[in-house]
Amino acid sequence: MSDADTKDKVVNAIKAMKKGPRAMRMYMEMCAKCGTCASVCPVYFGKSEKRYNPAERTDVIRRIYRKHCTISGRLFGSLAGAEDFDPTTIEDWQKIFYECTGCRRCASYCPFGIDHSVITRKGRAILDQLGMTPDTMQQVVNISLKTGNTDGASAEAFKAAIDFLEEEMEEEHGVPIRIPVDVKGADYFYVPPSGDVLVNPEATMGLAKVFHVMGMADKWTMSSKCFDGANYGLFTGNDGDMKTDNKLYVEEAKDLEIKVMLMGECGHAYRIMKMMMEKTSWWGQLPFKIINCMEWTADHIKKGRLQFDKSKNPQPVTYHDPCNFGRSCGITEEPRVILKASCADFREMHPNRAENWCCGGGGGLSAMDDILEFRMEVSGKKKLEQVRDTGAKYVATACSNCKRHLGQLLEHHKTGVDLGGVHDMLSRSILIDGKAAERTDYV
Amino acid sequence: MESVRFIVGVILPYVALVVFLFGMIWRIRMWKSLASPSMTLFPAPPDEAANTRNVIKEVVLFASLFKGDRLLWIIAWVFHGVLALIFIGHFRVFTNADAILSACGMSEDSIQAMSSGAGGAAGIVILIMVILFVVRRMTLQRAREVTGLADYGALLLIGLIVTTGNIMRFGGEHFDLTLTRDYFASLATFSNASAAEVLTNNTFLVHMLLGLLLLMLIPFSKILHLGGIFFTHQLIRKQ
Repeated sequence: MSDADTKDKVVNAIKAMKKGPRAMRMYMEMCAKCGTCASVCPVYFGKSEKRYNPAERTDVIRRIYRKHCTISGRLFGSLAGAEDFDPTTIEDWQKIFYECTGCRRCASYCPFGIDHSVITRKGRAILDQLGMTPDTMQQVVNISLKTGNTDGASAEAFKAAIDFLEEEMEEEHGVPIRIPVDVKGADYFYVPPSGDVLVNPEATMGLAKVFHVMGMADKWTMSSKCFDGANYGLFTGNDGDMKTDNKLYVEEAKDLEIKVMLMGECGHAYRIMKMMMEKTSWWGQLPFKIINCMEWTADHIKKGRLQFDKSKNPQPVTYHDPCNFGRSCGITEEPRVILKASCADFREMHPNRAENWCCGGGGGLSAMDDILEFRMEVSGKKKLEQVRDTGAKYVATACSNCKRHLGQLLEHHKTGVDLGGVHDMLSRSILIDGKAAERTDYV
Repeated sequence: MESVRFIVGVILPYVALVVFLFGMIWRIRMWKSLASPSMTLFPAPPDEAANTRNVIKEVVLFASLFKGDRLLWIIAWVFHGVLALIFIGHFRVFTNADAILSACGMSEDSIQAMSSGAGGAAGIVILIMVILFVVRRMTLQRAREVTGLADYGALLLIGLIVTTGNIMRFGGEHFDLTLTRDYFASLATFSNASAAEVLTNNTFLVHMLLGLLLLMLIPFSKILHLGGIFFTHQLIRKQ
């Protein structure tokens, strides 16, 4: 694409912001450049430079907006903070808009409530239109659209993994514990991130054990076609991809005639399904409800239906609130109910819940190993401090992306701290026929 | 000089008022017309009553800023608080608001004392706050690196308005409020405002000019967080 074409596309995309949505236009007009956002941004904390200042990142677009869309910008140019788009900077854009984790912490503290993640996503959408989404990110999208999951696993591979998990659980407890697949008419349809089946499967095992204890082994199912709630169209700013990815799961839920979609431990998956698709009615009226598995399990724990042997989790455990669960979905207490029931020594990080710090891998960055250095030294710096301050030996978190990034972070900095999911801890300590799992090794 | 006095003292007030009113109405209607899909940020209020309480807390107490940057909160809150008092106090300049105060039982002397005391203090405090804003912008890296000319310009404008106001308050010549009241009355009744004696006071003229300039700039600058904040706050905090 020629420089002139690039410039055309970019300028037109930015001019279109005049027509909304409201957030887009107002964020261009309202920022008072007070710098509060920078003081609460995990990336700026990691490296306090102009480039990583959230207000500066949005200004990359705001300057062009002013030049083409405001009277003062057209009249006074740089004196009014307006600047035309320079096509030679487009490659830098590729880095800049993938240096924000979209954690929305800025929005929580901005006196005007400006949410820089919206503009970050707009920048990424523009890059996507130019075919310039970073390779590492685009690959994940391609695999997902092709196979229905971000791990590129076939239905056979999935079923083999499920068989393996059932074997593991039988070994642990001496009784068969089932994970139903492709069962039509089941009440619950479990949609985890594929990582919770293929990479960190104790989460899925934990949930299977809850169904087993509740005597509901025949009331749920997974799908060999749709076993990954992750949706990278959110991260690339491509609404089309995001909706295509999502529709597959809604259609499968309808085909299986289930009553409740039970979303797994994945922050952005739950956010898209519950706070976007359902809330703003992408596909009209739905014949099923949507809840998160942590809400479901926590409810059973609160009603005293599950028993645990906490001594199976003696090490100090802390919880990292994934930004999407804490800030975007309001799910903060349920994982704590599960962890406090399953663990002998649960400790909080500070701050926590909706005020937590991003792990540093948000916004899809955790899938990008070409920016590993940035994630290990800059965006993850604050979280590392927080974990160390708790003295915990295990970090539980409810998000596949957090798990990947945090796992790398804890290992890279030789912390000796382990990491896993929320239902993982439950899986190790839940009592089945009066006994917890018999196991000597955990991968 | 006569023509300047005429332009600033007679023409500009009407122009500024029209520009301000039309600007604000246009902008708020435009904002309302834009689509606003849900983008809730938690913790979010569970019902409308809680939401209203939160909006009031945000606008009156600057709740988010209090948690975000305590030092900035102190400067900003004092600045805006004093600004609100000055705004209310200016009604004495335009009208005979003293009548309301007398009806509440205040004597003329105590009204004057309140005006000089509170008004004078307000003028000093707000100037200090403006200076602190400027110093903060120049010395705090995360603010300095994103600050542009327009940001300093806004502070300069406000600083000059406050300074000219203080000169009129604390300056050697006694400043008579009946002069301004006559002047604004003549503007309001489209009578011969150019004859108003207060227009011969150059400090007043500059104060008016800058004040009207500010009024016209409000709908077209970042100062439109007056009004804008109701929209942007609701975008993220409504359920």
